This record gives sequence, structure tokens and C-alpha cells, in this order.
Amino acid sequence: MARAVASGTRADIALLALSVSLSLAALALPAHLRDPVTSTLRRVFIAPLVAMQSDAELARGAIVRHDVETSARDSVALRALEVPALEAENDRLRRALGLGRSLGWGFVPAEALHSRALGEEYTLTLTRGSRAGIRSFSPVVAPEGLVGMVETVDPTMSLAITWSHPDFRVSAMAADGSAFGIVKAHLGTGPERYLLELSGVQMSATLSPGTPIMSSGVGGVYPRGIPVGTVIGEVKTSEGWARTYLVQPAVKPFDVSSILVLEPKRVLAGMQSVWVGEDSSHRAAAAADTVAHRGSITIPRDTVLETPADTADSADGGPGAGGAQP
Amino acid sequence: MTMAGTIRAAVAFVILVLLHYSLRPLLGWRAEIDFLLIALLLAAVRVRPGTAALIGCGLGLVADSLTPGAFGAGALGMSMVGFGASWLKAAFFADNLALNGFFFFAGRWAFAIIYVLAEHQRRGIELAQEIFVWAPLSGAVTAIAGVIALAVMRPLLETQST
Repeated sequence: MARAVASGTRADIALLALSVSLSLAALALPAHLRDPVTSTLRRVFIAPLVAMQSDAELARGAIVRHDVETSARDSVALRALEVPALEAENDRLRRALGLGRSLGWGFVPAEALHSRALGEEYTLTLTRGSRAGIRSFSPVVAPEGLVGMVETVDPTMSLAITWSHPDFRVSAMAADGSAFGIVKAHLGTGPERYLLELSGVQMSATLSPGTPIMSSGVGGVYPRGIPVGTVIGEVKTSEGWARTYLVQPAVKPFDVSSILVLEPKRVLAGMQSVWVGEDSSHRAAAAADTVAHRGSITIPRDTVLETPADTADSADGGPGAGGAQP
Repeated sequence: MTMAGTIRAAVAFVILVLLHYSLRPLLGWRAEIDFLLIALLLAAVRVRPGTAALIGCGLGLVADSLTPGAFGAGALGMSMVGFGASWLKAAFFADNLALNGFFFFAGRWAFAIIYVLAEHQRRGIELAQEIFVWAPLSGAVTAIAGVIALAVMRPLLETQST
């Protein structure tokens, strides 16, 4: 038994020695002898396995590429989703630049910050204040037209009311000068809350839907020629002496991010050549000139606050009625 | 070992060899699982040390055929590891997964040390890095894979006392 074990051990050691010798011989083989051996081994044993390995590596490459390509596709999709918003923002900024170029001087660019907080739906916080030259009752405009008016000014910021504010008023006219009136927020319910109404239009003036409405410049707070909106249709009211029209605003306040605040001296200088590209803005400005010089029509003036007691004062240019007029 | 046991062990051996050339490249880890070594160790505990050395030598030579520059180094490493594993099979055969895992780890590390010393292609920091960083890491993942393979193939690998 012991002999058998010893014999087995000797055999094991002999086989180990053989294996080690073979290995060392393989290590010591010169290249010209080694290569045929390895080539044979590869062809006989490894070739099928290498094909399998190749497939596995291809699969791994596909998995890795899938992750990368999925990531890239997601990034592209995400960017594609952002493109319309970026294009709109670019377009808005481009038009703001164009408006600034048209204005040339006498304005303060600012960012308009929106708040959805209760009571702040109709106001904008502007990122510039009195240090930048902004004054109360200064018109706030965007490339599309009139946004509102600065109400409160601090050194570094200011608050503006938009046209949807219940206190907002602007003296306006039809583009062809055929009708004048006061534009204010339409205090309806639902979506109509975000429309304007042109009230106080004389009965003899009939405006068709689509007629552009712009500031008439009467009152002095808003220079003439700033687009306000377009007529949607007439609103039936109990007033028997004047017509009221529903107006689609030119500017959507919630879409406004970059605005220009007009300085008083710029308001005085007029806006005749600013909205050149806008439909009928020139005609409106010209019409406003004509009507203003004609002096034969009672033209409503800008007001900020409309109270029954102020109605008479509003024609005198008090602070709440275009008091910023120099 | 009975004929049926031999066939089952051979099937397990082939499966592990196939995994070496399919799952290992699919995973593509830097510290690779050495399924060939797992196959060798599982075979070694079922045969005599001399036979295990021969199996290791053959397996190593076949594997080395893909790296002609180090042809024989793998054969040397596997011969010695196979012989040692078979010699220590009493301990290796303990029905303890942690101990089995340790032997996979030690076997892979020992193989790597023999291989890199025999191939004479690494020196200095690269050699130390291979021996003390990558070889233990590879040993660890090989041990984990070996333990999993043992657990999965337990019905196939039921051993017969020799």
C-alpha cells in the first residue's frame, strides 16, 4: 500500500516535471519553431473559441455603443425640445435689439421678471431702477408693442403694471385714424380677462375686426405710434353715446422677458419711425398727427387710475392721468 | 471517479472554457475572471496531482497560443497551480464556499505571479502593479465567479472520494 502511494507520488512528481519541462521548453523555443506550434494549436483548439470571443466582444461593443448612442439620442431629443423655446427667445431678443436700434436713444433695457403670486399677476418686476434712468410713469415697450407702464421705481429695480392691470389706461386710436378711444383691460372672466377693450369710440366710427390699434400720443404718457393690439369685434354696452371694441393685445405679458423702458425725453421726441415694419404704424402716426392738429375731435387721454372723481382731471394730466407728460 | 462523474466533470470543464471565451470578453473588465483557472482547479481536485499538472500544461499551452511572445508561461503557471491544487485537494474539498473561494483567489494569484515572472515582459513598477494590484483583483473576481460556478454546478460536480 505504502509502496503504491510512493509510486503514485513519484509518478505525480514525474508528470509535474514533465509538464514544467514542456512549459520551459515552450518558453525557450525560438520563434521559427514556436510559431508553427502556436499556429497549429490556434487552428485546432482556439479558432472556434476565438470566433466565440469575437462575437462576445462584438456584443459587448454593441452594448457599450447602445449606452453611448442612447445617451446621445436622449441629448439630441432634449436639445430638440429646447430648440423652439430657444428660437423664440432668440427671435424675441433679436427683435428687442431691432427695436433698440430703431429707438436709437432714450431708453433703458431691462429684464422683466414674472411672478405668479397672488396680486402680482398684472405686474412685472424690472431689473433696472432709478440709477439706470427709469422714472415713474415711463412706458414699457417690447418689440411687439406696448407692455405697460412703470409704476414704482427703486434705485436698482422697478415695478411696472402691464396692460392687464385694472388700473391701466392708454389713449389709443385706430391705425387709419378713424377712431379714438381709451384702451383698458377687459375685466371679463376666463380667457377674456387677457383681452383689452377700446372704449369711448364715437358712434360714427365703425372698426372692422383686424384693425390695428395703437397709442395716439394724446396725454403724453405714451408717445403715439406704439402698437397696442388689433380689433376683435364690438362689445355691446349700455352706453348709448359711444362704442366699445374688444382688442387682441399686441403683447402677451407672460411671454415678455426683455423690455425697454422709454425715458421721458424719448417720449417727447416721438416714435414716428420706430415701428416701421409694423402694419400701419406709420399710417397711425400720421393719422395721429393729423387728428391732433385738427383739434376738432374730443380725444380721450391716457389715464392710470380711472375713478369717477378723476374723470374730469384725467384731461388735465394729473399723475394718475398721464402726469408724466412734460 | 466513476465514468458518469468523469463525464459530468468534463462537461463542467467545457462549459467553463466556453465561458472564458464568451462571458469574459463580454464583461470586458480590467480585472478579468479567469474561467480557465476555475476549470483547471475544479478538474485538479478530481485527479491525481500529476494528471492535474498535465491538464494544466495542456490548457496553458492552448491558451498561450494566442500570446506567442509568452508561449509556455501560462502552461508553467497552470501546471504548478494544478499540481498544487490537486495536492491540497483535501482542504480544497471542504464543503465551505468561503474556503473554496480563498483557494480560487490564491490559485489565480499564484498563477499570475508565475506567469508574469516567466514571461519576462514586465519590469519594475509594471511588474509590481501586475502582481500586487491586478492579480489580486483578478483573483478576487475569479474567486467570486468560482464560488458561483461551484454553487450552480454543484449537482454536476458531485465528487467521488478517491
